[in-house]
Amino acid sequence: MTAAGVRVRCADSGVRAALEAWIDGLRLEAPAELMLEVAVTQDVPTELADVVFEQPGVRFARHPEGRGLRLAWDEAPAAAEVPADATLASVWLSPAAVERLERCTRVFLMAVLVVLLRRIGWFHLHAATAIDPHGRGWLVAGNAEAGKSTTAALLAASGWRVGTDDAAFLERHGERIVVHTCHAPIALRQGGRRLLAKAGGIALPARGKVGFWPEDLGGVWAPLVDPEIIIFTSVGDTRTAAEPLPRSAAVAELVRWSAWVMLELDLAQRHLDVLTRLTHQARCYRVTLGSDLFARPNRLIELAT
Amino acid sequence: MSQRFKRHPELRLAEVEGDGVVLHLGTRRYFSVSESGLLILQALESPQSVDDLVRRLMEHYEVTAAQAEASVHEFLDTCRVAELLAPEEAR
Repeated sequence: MTAAGVRVRCADSGVRAALEAWIDGLRLEAPAELMLEVAVTQDVPTELADVVFEQPGVRFARHPEGRGLRLAWDEAPAAAEVPADATLASVWLSPAAVERLERCTRVFLMAVLVVLLRRIGWFHLHAATAIDPHGRGWLVAGNAEAGKSTTAALLAASGWRVGTDDAAFLERHGERIVVHTCHAPIALRQGGRRLLAKAGGIALPARGKVGFWPEDLGGVWAPLVDPEIIIFTSVGDTRTAAEPLPRSAAVAELVRWSAWVMLELDLAQRHLDVLTRLTHQARCYRVTLGSDLFARPNRLIELAT
Repeated sequence: MSQRFKRHPELRLAEVEGDGVVLHLGTRRYFSVSESGLLILQALESPQSVDDLVRRLMEHYEVTAAQAEASVHEFLDTCRVAELLAPEEAR
């Protein structure tokens, strides 16, 4: 059993060890036991009917029996099946997929894990997470161009605790929605590194980025955040500005950045209720990030509290 | 027997500040609806006639039957365009 509560079963000991190391590294403290049952085989069922969603490199289809999802990787034969009410994902990896296991893990198996975690009520949101010096939890939501990673790195360098720059998992915990995060490097493009005046880091050549652990930036990793403030960001010019967002508009934004809500009939209502409840507990703002933030990161606090 | 309507089985609803949020999992579209629209969609979990829906609106709002009926027809037209009704309306 790995520390994350996600087990791997695989006859290929090398693949099993690599996947267990990946899961351990994520440090996800899933409360229930989940299982990735992995077979290395030439016979990978990559044919998908009724594709309902695609993200770069991965296709998702509803299970033929109508409940659960099937996934296929486009770069090499790899597929997975996650029934609706199961805590086990069946995964088939071709030898070609195993040859590029790091990329397969990051792109495809991460998607499988996202689907599997939905079975225990953890719902993925594209958002960075942080805790400010006053102890308030923040979510920074938006797409890949929204400045989430640069903001997360900037806040980590300013003494905030930071959880993730993109992969947040929402869970209802009593009357609150809390957010779990993976322990993964904050991935910065060259522009972000230049603005932060940051050298070093971990090369992530396949993504054209360099990764920094929150700890490397002077911050502390925060595995769990209780959000009080949500900002939906875009990148502007010089001056950072914020405007309050009505709750209905905030729910629309959360649906946009948590698109998995649309995929599964069985889980959609529960997922939607989590997103809606989140807007009850947090103040929501639309924020245009300006270059002034690099001189005064805590301007975010002034604008959004 | 008057025509009866039912909402699409792939809709999911939530209430936010009195208004409604509607997800259509079939078309993967998101809609905002008014409080009265949400009330109608909630009622349409089971088959309802226009008269049923008019009564429902009049129970919740101070409106005349004519006003309620006009609202119901207008909202059902919107629902048809957005494919929010079940493909085969119950009769």
